[in-house]
Amino acid sequence: MAEGGDVEWELSKENIQPLRRGRAISALHQALTQQQDGLSSVINQQRQAFESELRMYEGDDPLDVWDRYIKWTEQTFPQGGKESNLTTLLERAVTRFTEEKKYHNDPRYVDLWIKFAESCPEPLDIYRYMQAQGIGMTQASLYIAWSEEYENQGNFHKADLVYQEGFKKCAEPHDKLLQFHKSLQARVSRQVMMEVEDDDSDEEPKQPERVSLVDLKYRGKKKAIALVNRTGPAIRSVSGGLQSRGAPVLGNASNTRLMIFDESKAPTAGPSEPRLEPWMAPPTSRAKENEKRPEKWCDVKKSKFGHTVMAPPPSKPTFQPFVDESDQPPTMTPCKINPAVNTVLSARKPCREGTPLKRLQEHHLQQKEAELGKSQEQSMYCKDLLLSGATEFCFEELRAERYFKKIAQDTQEVSGQKDHSGSSAAK
Amino acid sequence: MSLFGTSAGFGTGGTGVFGSTTTDSHNPMKDVEVTSPPDDSISCLAFSPPTMPGNFLIGGSWANDVRCWEVQDNGQTVPKAQQMHTGPVLDACWSDDGSKVFTASCDKTAKMWDLNSNQAMQIAQHDGPIKAIHWIKAPNYSCVMTGSWDKTLKFWDTRSPNPMMSLPMPERCYCADVVYPMAVVATAERGLIVYQLENQPSEFRRIDSPLKHQHRCVAIFKDKQNKPTGFALGSIEGRVAIHYINPPNPAKDNFTFKCHRSNGTNTTTPQDIYAVNAISFHPVHGTLATVGSDGRFSFWDKDARTKLKTSEQLDQPITACCFNHNGNIFAYASSYDWSKTPSFRQTPGPIHGSGCNVHGPIKGAYPTWH
Repeated sequence: MAEGGDVEWELSKENIQPLRRGRAISALHQALTQQQDGLSSVINQQRQAFESELRMYEGDDPLDVWDRYIKWTEQTFPQGGKESNLTTLLERAVTRFTEEKKYHNDPRYVDLWIKFAESCPEPLDIYRYMQAQGIGMTQASLYIAWSEEYENQGNFHKADLVYQEGFKKCAEPHDKLLQFHKSLQARVSRQVMMEVEDDDSDEEPKQPERVSLVDLKYRGKKKAIALVNRTGPAIRSVSGGLQSRGAPVLGNASNTRLMIFDESKAPTAGPSEPRLEPWMAPPTSRAKENEKRPEKWCDVKKSKFGHTVMAPPPSKPTFQPFVDESDQPPTMTPCKINPAVNTVLSARKPCREGTPLKRLQEHHLQQKEAELGKSQEQSMYCKDLLLSGATEFCFEELRAERYFKKIAQDTQEVSGQKDHSGSSAAK
Repeated sequence: MSLFGTSAGFGTGGTGVFGSTTTDSHNPMKDVEVTSPPDDSISCLAFSPPTMPGNFLIGGSWANDVRCWEVQDNGQTVPKAQQMHTGPVLDACWSDDGSKVFTASCDKTAKMWDLNSNQAMQIAQHDGPIKAIHWIKAPNYSCVMTGSWDKTLKFWDTRSPNPMMSLPMPERCYCADVVYPMAVVATAERGLIVYQLENQPSEFRRIDSPLKHQHRCVAIFKDKQNKPTGFALGSIEGRVAIHYINPPNPAKDNFTFKCHRSNGTNTTTPQDIYAVNAISFHPVHGTLATVGSDGRFSFWDKDARTKLKTSEQLDQPITACCFNHNGNIFAYASSYDWSKTPSFRQTPGPIHGSGCNVHGPIKGAYPTWH
């Protein structure tokens, strides 16, 4: 690996989203170098190629194009973000094939669903929806992702039940499911052990207290997608051994604490070693400043003159402060950006109605209605083709793509014929 | 009310233009058919400006050519000349003096066609197909504006190989219109940008789309003082929005209306919705014409908010339309518009087929209302 490249990627680590399957280092290098000069035309061309391929595909495996497109997007936009259109793509891909039974247990399709769920505010709902639709019921990866979600929320019982369900459905590959289930069990038992130890050491009941220096609490169950906290319950050391006891084990709902080295709980103090005596009373707070002792108010002595002597108001200076003549402060901050043309900030558009799950269900409902001929309206144009992928196409673009493809084929044929005739002439 | 009178003295149907009982859906209105039409779908139509004597019609097509016809007072059409591009022609416009025609093509170039010498030369280059082309005549400059799928809007003075100016757009240009000093560009993902052209072109305002579906066509309208004051925007889902730039009362003055739909009142069967392919304003009366993939054209009065007339249904979509300079002639082109590509999910077969090479006659040089 080149030294320069190494530095490059070291410098922009925080802009790289983790991927389940990891990243190809060459793609990462490319993406990071391209990133510096904006959305390059190469990326645009590749995206355009995928978009047109989505619409022109004529084989019997349309999922393949989507799968490659989404994987390309993940690798090309390591920082995620809006311009990657990943969430839109995932949603469209997932919606596109809900009716196609042959894909329901295709590992690629199930992977797309899992990625989609992880990008949603409520992944559990998506997994339940998948279950209801019968998608991925024999795929181990679904149960693993589902269980991990429960585990992240601290619901170990449910997490285990999900694995049981997976075993019942004979999900494949069985080994993988078994292995992940075992590691879950290991983690849970470790957790339980930790809690028992904690109970030994802390006799005083845990009270909710204000914690400082922690991540902000996010509302609801929305996951902070950009942050990867490896503190608190999220720590899962796969290898054996005790978890670092410096990390306090708090409930999932509360904020996780910053890891602070605690001498008294240092891991060197193994369970067999004698412990320090616990405090009998909570330490007095030394953080408060300017604390006034309560006093009687009635005994306060009045001043002699009946009122306190006020400090005289500051008189105006008898001299004129020197002001540089040229130093005329501008009356207004000059506005360099014409507010009408300001493209940097724009008013936040009202977000699309409902959650992704709701949209999925609505789409499903609409399709049912359309099949029964109940829908109020029907579009008399190739809506699927126009609105496939991450961007829309217009009729002319569809037609132009066909045209270019045909031209390319024709020129190939012509050149092929020429080559052929040339070689035959040589003979 | 006789919208389509016979005073101009041509058209074959006489007074009964709309009442004809013919079953021929190829030309149900019995309009004049233009002789020697292009061999493939027609993408654009434009009539010569008022500075030229007579009426000349140009039309660009997917057969890579641009043709010019003279429409005579007796209704006869005479093919005059044609020029070729190396790709389908997507848009065309006239210069203000009528001596030149500018054409935009999928081959990523725009050409200037001098009608006097019948010479064409390249005047513009983009990184993608050029979807819209317009001539801008300002007091202090004149230029050609091109909008492309490469997400740029460029301005060319026709003499230099480099653009006078290149403005980036958030998305691909889908349609545009120019009435000095205003230009409006509608883009993919429902983008809508208004430009002002005084002194030099600059972005004036971005507008949140009044429509919920893909933009397909846009046309600027003028107020009583003959100044551009707003635009009509058509979408692929049978709807047109009338939008003023600075309305006294935005909530009341701006509105949308449905068009190019079937079974409007029948609730038992689903309503069929078609794309609005083009909008054109009458140069005198300010009424507007819309044409759709349903093969119909309609005339509307945006001030009275009423529909004036709808045509019979043609056997093919109508892809383009335009009025001549005094509004006596309305031309429309019926051709295959690609909207009927596999609309059935069950048939993932090839899109092309016999429908692709459809003959596209420009019909309809016939008198419009007074």
